[in-house]
Amino acid sequence: MKVMKKAKVEKVIEALAKEHDVYVPIQRGAQTGFFSYRTYNEDYDDIMLDTLNVYQPPKSIVFPQTEKMYGFKSEGQKINIDQVFEESEPKIIFGLRSCDLKAIDYLDELFFTKSYEDEFYRARRKSTVMIVNACYNPGTSCFCDSMGVSPNEPENADVLIHDIGEGDFAWEAKSDKGEAVTELIKDLLEEQEATLPTLKNFKRKVDYEGVAEKLKDMFDHPMWEDMSYPCHNCGICTYMCPTCYCFDIQVKTAGEEGYRFRCWDSCMYREYSQMAGGHNPRELDKERFRNRFLHKLQFFQERYGEPLCTGCGRCIVVCPAGVSIIKVIEKVKEADV
Amino acid sequence: MAECNCENPLVPSMVEVVDIKDETPDVKTFYVRSENGGVPFNVMPGQLAMVSHVPVGEGMFSVSWQEENDHLQFAIKSVGLLTEQLHNIDIGQMIGVRGPYGNGFPVEECKGKDMLFIGGGIGLAPLRSFIKYCFKYREDYGKITIIYGSRSYADLCFKDELFEKWPAMKDTEVFVTIDNEEENWSGHVGFVPSYLQEINPDPQGLIAVTCGPPIMIKFVLQALEKMGFTDEQVITTLEARMKCGIGKCGRCNIGSEYICLDGPVFNLAQLKKLPPEW
Repeated sequence: MKVMKKAKVEKVIEALAKEHDVYVPIQRGAQTGFFSYRTYNEDYDDIMLDTLNVYQPPKSIVFPQTEKMYGFKSEGQKINIDQVFEESEPKIIFGLRSCDLKAIDYLDELFFTKSYEDEFYRARRKSTVMIVNACYNPGTSCFCDSMGVSPNEPENADVLIHDIGEGDFAWEAKSDKGEAVTELIKDLLEEQEATLPTLKNFKRKVDYEGVAEKLKDMFDHPMWEDMSYPCHNCGICTYMCPTCYCFDIQVKTAGEEGYRFRCWDSCMYREYSQMAGGHNPRELDKERFRNRFLHKLQFFQERYGEPLCTGCGRCIVVCPAGVSIIKVIEKVKEADV
Repeated sequence: MAECNCENPLVPSMVEVVDIKDETPDVKTFYVRSENGGVPFNVMPGQLAMVSHVPVGEGMFSVSWQEENDHLQFAIKSVGLLTEQLHNIDIGQMIGVRGPYGNGFPVEECKGKDMLFIGGGIGLAPLRSFIKYCFKYREDYGKITIIYGSRSYADLCFKDELFEKWPAMKDTEVFVTIDNEEENWSGHVGFVPSYLQEINPDPQGLIAVTCGPPIMIKFVLQALEKMGFTDEQVITTLEARMKCGIGKCGRCNIGSEYICLDGPVFNLAQLKKLPPEW
């Protein structure tokens, strides 16, 4: 089996970074996230291949928080769209986990299926290689297997790496893209016997079975009032969620020129569905809270066949009000309908 | 499902505003044509398009009519930042359009039926595309009844069609109401749902199509049910805040359906299966 020895990890990343923008899980000051290796500062940053989930998921690499769409110039009454920004620089996400890869599978479903395909997303997504770090020791807030995600045998990885101890990683190319990047660093890998770890038990289990179906009859259930009561509608859950994809489209104009861009939006905010004439179908905090959880647990399931949650646990960890999607699922299971 | 004719569905094509017609103090109809002449894309009645005053913003509007391969018409009410700015433009301005989006009215399924259109305020704009389609293919549709109301006489859209052209069409009746008494108004006074109940059309063989403010639609749907219309006989077209128009950006959902993609046209049977969030 091919193995990337501990001492070679940075060399592998460096070698890949010659032709790719490589995103690596990094502890940087108080934050953790996938940052470009071009910005890596060895005096301050720590590469974290042994951490389960960094706070900021890698979705921003294929679906940036703010993304230019097209530029325009006006001249009197004439307006010309003179640039379309489809970004396709080769990229690698190095060391993402199965839950975050699955989340990107859901973004693929959203952006590539059900009629129109999103060209901005396509340009980034097709040029990105996924090097997935298999999980064998689920964390205290992890429940990916309850949401149908395999922590150590993900589908759609380009390369799968396995922590085999002592900081060494077994390296398996899983796709043509994966073979191609393996070729770039083959001299840095060693051929040796390696035993893959055994998957440990999940500390957290959630029973999602039948939840989507049951929710069909729970739109007016009093649990939404109770569960949404502590929620501040701050939106942090939506920003930290690897699957949340709602976006806004806005324009920046300076003088005769400008550009249109899209940026992440949050269903937690009133403006999200506020119409110009004043009508808002989800005026109340409770209604927006309910829509978020129904979208994750029922609506996305109905439309795409899977829940829009990969059990990464980030929303539970970051919520200042103690809202937990696990508790929401449990309440649905317990509820009398 | 209509296909977007542009390579990148989020990038608009530029069209020229070739005419602007004042409908009411706050509604104007914009006539737009491609730079090379003709329409930027073909639209069926009830379909939508994203219209952008490019430096200002972008919003989803119903196409109130496609005149052959000559131009598209958008009747737009000034209610917010984008629409106010649109109302300030002059003929000759280039604006962006992308589309067509949405399912549109079931014009084929309605063939051979009597048609009842019930509109309120700017809600006549989407209905107008279907009404004019029925007149264009007059032999395909039965009796046409139009019930329309606005706050005041001044606020009635498409007055020349409403008072001149449509009542003169074969086998067509037009009923107009305004919310409050006015000098020089000898017509009906009252809200659309109650006027509908006074007129009390016989549901036999009739398809009712309604659009207006959400509160009006809700009362009209109740009234139609009371009169004995089945859920399949009642059609409405909804609106919501939209950003992408292609079912990705999230906000226009009702349950697992997107108004921009699966709608905006729903019959009452479909609507009843969805949460009442519209």
